[in-house]
Amino acid sequence: MVLRVFTLLFVGYFILAGSVLADDFDSAFGDDDTTVAEKLISDPFQPFNRGTFWVNDKLYFYLFKPVAKGYRWAIPRPARVSVGNFFSNLATPIRAGNALLQFKFRDFGTETYRFVINTTFGIGGLFDPAESIAGVKGTVEDFGQTLGYYRVGHGFYLVLPIVGPSSLRDATGFFVDSFADPLRYANLETREFMGVKFLDSENRLSLDRDTYEGIIHDSIDPYLFIRAAYVQRRLAQVGEDSYNVNIFEGPLFDSDILNPFDWFGF
Amino acid sequence: MKKIILSALFVLFFAASSFALPQPQARVEQMVDSILGVLQQPELSAEEKKAQVSGRVQEYLNVQSMSRRTLGDHWDSATEDQRQRFSELFVRILEGTYLSRIEDYSAGTVKYLEQRVKDDKAIIDTLIVSNELEIPVQYKMIYEQGSWQVFDLVIEGVSLVRNYRSSYGEIIRRKGYDGLLALMDEKVQAMDSSL
Repeated sequence: MVLRVFTLLFVGYFILAGSVLADDFDSAFGDDDTTVAEKLISDPFQPFNRGTFWVNDKLYFYLFKPVAKGYRWAIPRPARVSVGNFFSNLATPIRAGNALLQFKFRDFGTETYRFVINTTFGIGGLFDPAESIAGVKGTVEDFGQTLGYYRVGHGFYLVLPIVGPSSLRDATGFFVDSFADPLRYANLETREFMGVKFLDSENRLSLDRDTYEGIIHDSIDPYLFIRAAYVQRRLAQVGEDSYNVNIFEGPLFDSDILNPFDWFGF
Repeated sequence: MKKIILSALFVLFFAASSFALPQPQARVEQMVDSILGVLQQPELSAEEKKAQVSGRVQEYLNVQSMSRRTLGDHWDSATEDQRQRFSELFVRILEGTYLSRIEDYSAGTVKYLEQRVKDDKAIIDTLIVSNELEIPVQYKMIYEQGSWQVFDLVIEGVSLVRNYRSSYGEIIRRKGYDGLLALMDEKVQAMDSSL
């Protein structure tokens, strides 16, 4: 009897596991035999967007990239990584707030933990011991994703000046997020604020390995390629099934030193 | 006796779920190792590395399947000649894309996270780790003609085939099939001259 119940449970488990796996698996192949050329996003203002794309391209090659190269030459890499860490740490409220709005409590906890550890042990966010010692990686959350979580679609594709690929939804999100940006409340003059933002983007660009150049080199129509990649990437971030790489499996904390559960003897 | 039947069933159960096919992950590992093996030879020049890698990549890709998936219903309406022409150019573009980014991958190590297999299809989740970067790369594979072959790469949630399908589809709608082929031809020429 006991054996039979056990067997039933066992088989049941497998059938259940099998069906869960199947859903997951099939959705990853869902677009396989599409006979219709798929349209990822509507783009009614394409001529206008292409215009902005062209301007951004020129800005990139004649302003942002040369400055980034000079900056890369002048400042050693570790310092630039620290500047990046600092800005990323500063933007924690945006990520933590949006995690909360999506009921992603784990991400909220991760962001809170990282902020506390990196602001203190990481000296105001210049270093990232939360990841380098404890192995707790940051999350990517913004209001565009929050809207996506509540099933708000992109609306239409939009190329923003300087910022680049976006959509009606994500541009709205970008605007809303700016209210959770601590820099906004730092009492900076407009010029200073722009300067800090410029430093942030140049610093990021100095750490990038010619991603944009690669796309220009590889694709026959970079505008279309970037548009498709942008939409797919956002879909993945909002958490569609087709993107379920289990990078977060495994222990939450790699190290005992920065493990609060360990400090308090849980 | 009962015990034996039970354990036989057990074995069957497990065997059925993992199927009799060879493991697709082993195939991905083989591909990655073979490519990294070339990249990590310090005595080779950049050109030599590229030449050696280019042949190896093709061995593991299912070009026919990639082309068909990329073109969607345009594949069905194309003539045999057009299909042939498309596949040839497509392979060279894929190769050029890969080769131009090769340096980025050569310093990295690859972690294999998970393998999921169902019938003749498989998904392998990997992670490329280099410096402070971690790039999730997913291989979608199909079992054909006695081996597992890659037909799509999903990098950070962006499927290569989907990307090509969306942009090539739009080009075909606007400029026709031959318009696309002309653009691809142009790109291949440009890639060759920049190598």
